[in-house]
Amino acid sequence: MQNAAGEASRDCGGLRFFACLVLAAAMSVVGMSARAHHAFAAEFDSNLPVLLQGKVTRIEWVNPHAWIHLRVEMPGQPPQTWAVEGGTPNTLLRAGISRDTLKIGTDIVVRGYQSKDPGCIPVCRANGRDMTLPDGQKLFMGASGTGAPRDGADPTEPARAN
Amino acid sequence: MKRCGFFVLLALAGIQGIACAQSGAAPASLPSGYKVGRTAFGDPDLQGLWTNASITTLERPAGLNSLVLSPQVAGQIEARFAGRREADQRATDPSLGAPATGDDVRGYNSFWIDLGSRLAVIGGEIRASWIVDPSSGKVPYSMQGRQALRAAAQTSFDGPETRPIGERCIIGYGSTSGPPMLNVLYNNHYQIVQSPGHVVIVVEMNHDARIIRLGGERLPATQSQWLGDSIGRFEGDTLVVETSHLHPGQSFMADVRHYLYVPPTARVVERFTRVAADEILYEFSVSDDRAYTQTWRGEMPFRAAKGPMFEYACHEGNHSLTNILKGARHAERSR
Repeated sequence: MQNAAGEASRDCGGLRFFACLVLAAAMSVVGMSARAHHAFAAEFDSNLPVLLQGKVTRIEWVNPHAWIHLRVEMPGQPPQTWAVEGGTPNTLLRAGISRDTLKIGTDIVVRGYQSKDPGCIPVCRANGRDMTLPDGQKLFMGASGTGAPRDGADPTEPARAN
Repeated sequence: MKRCGFFVLLALAGIQGIACAQSGAAPASLPSGYKVGRTAFGDPDLQGLWTNASITTLERPAGLNSLVLSPQVAGQIEARFAGRREADQRATDPSLGAPATGDDVRGYNSFWIDLGSRLAVIGGEIRASWIVDPSSGKVPYSMQGRQALRAAAQTSFDGPETRPIGERCIIGYGSTSGPPMLNVLYNNHYQIVQSPGHVVIVVEMNHDARIIRLGGERLPATQSQWLGDSIGRFEGDTLVVETSHLHPGQSFMADVRHYLYVPPTARVVERFTRVAADEILYEFSVSDDRAYTQTWRGEMPFRAAKGPMFEYACHEGNHSLTNILKGARHAERSR
């Protein structure tokens, strides 16, 4: 623990130390599922990174995690179906995403990690660490993830006076 | 930043020895002047859809010396938070390829995350933590309580029964349903419905209903239940709810930003006061002679939210638990 503290001091030194700590606490959750519905390490293997590209074949808009299925075709290999775990669909619904926003047949790219059981029975599974369109745009860019506050603050209200 | 984040998570878990200045401010006085409406049957009206999403956390992060933040510091924190989140929304370089082994492992893009973007304001004060007492902003675990926390946090992959209750979809993770009801990574919504003799709080995750009886007898001591046995009463405009008989399975509750141990023997008192048309002041105290060195207290605003609140049906689509156990069995076969 002393080492961790020392490293933190070097990373967050000076006047910004406290802000960095708070920021780190907040930032460390963005994009993470470390202690959400389940821990990343419980289901996925960080030693099995994957890059998947293919057409969406099926979407399970279910809680606790949405699952996006895609057909991956690699040269010289039979096509494989991968199911990719996303987050809770409730957040997307609240952000205005509907079941029709991501259509079957859309080409997507997934950068993530395969499940600890790599058996691909009945389908291969991975987490959707980064899900984008082929040009790199985030899958739901523009319709969600805008940082719009869900804490009762009107997103159009002026910033707090400093 | 990555190492800093790791450090903070350790700090939030209360398992490091960094000293924090003890300069917490006194709890804010209740706002006045708002006339609380009444239901058709005459009770103070708390009904509606509410959210406690916020970047304020249960415990005060290490490095912050007071409960109340200046607007300047709060502005910096919120701006950096927004900036980092915005950065996470930028396009990914299509030539990046697969992520590196073990590289900054995380679950998914931030468009799935919905934890709010502002620090909480209570009585005009910008708050660094929900905990207002003790002044350290930390849960005052006794040595016994800390040991119990570590023991309660232990899980195994032997079968579904030994996995965390959130993972099993029994109740929401991180004490979202409480008591005390805490903000987590997403789905921080609550719907309050009142009828003569009862107040029901429907918790978005996992679509659980806290049924609070107004008056009446407590359950037998041997009968614990998820979310506890809650009995309420109105003191003026305030709903006071006392809960005991918490289920042992919910003793340890963890979110990305907090770990909390509340033993089955604990007594939780919550106070709900509508201080504005769009805000409920939620106060809570947690007592247990063995787990804590003192009763600890917190304050949190519940802000009016836009509906509808979507059903969070967890069990039906919970492929994760199956995958987790399959992964464990695969690991056993591979040894």
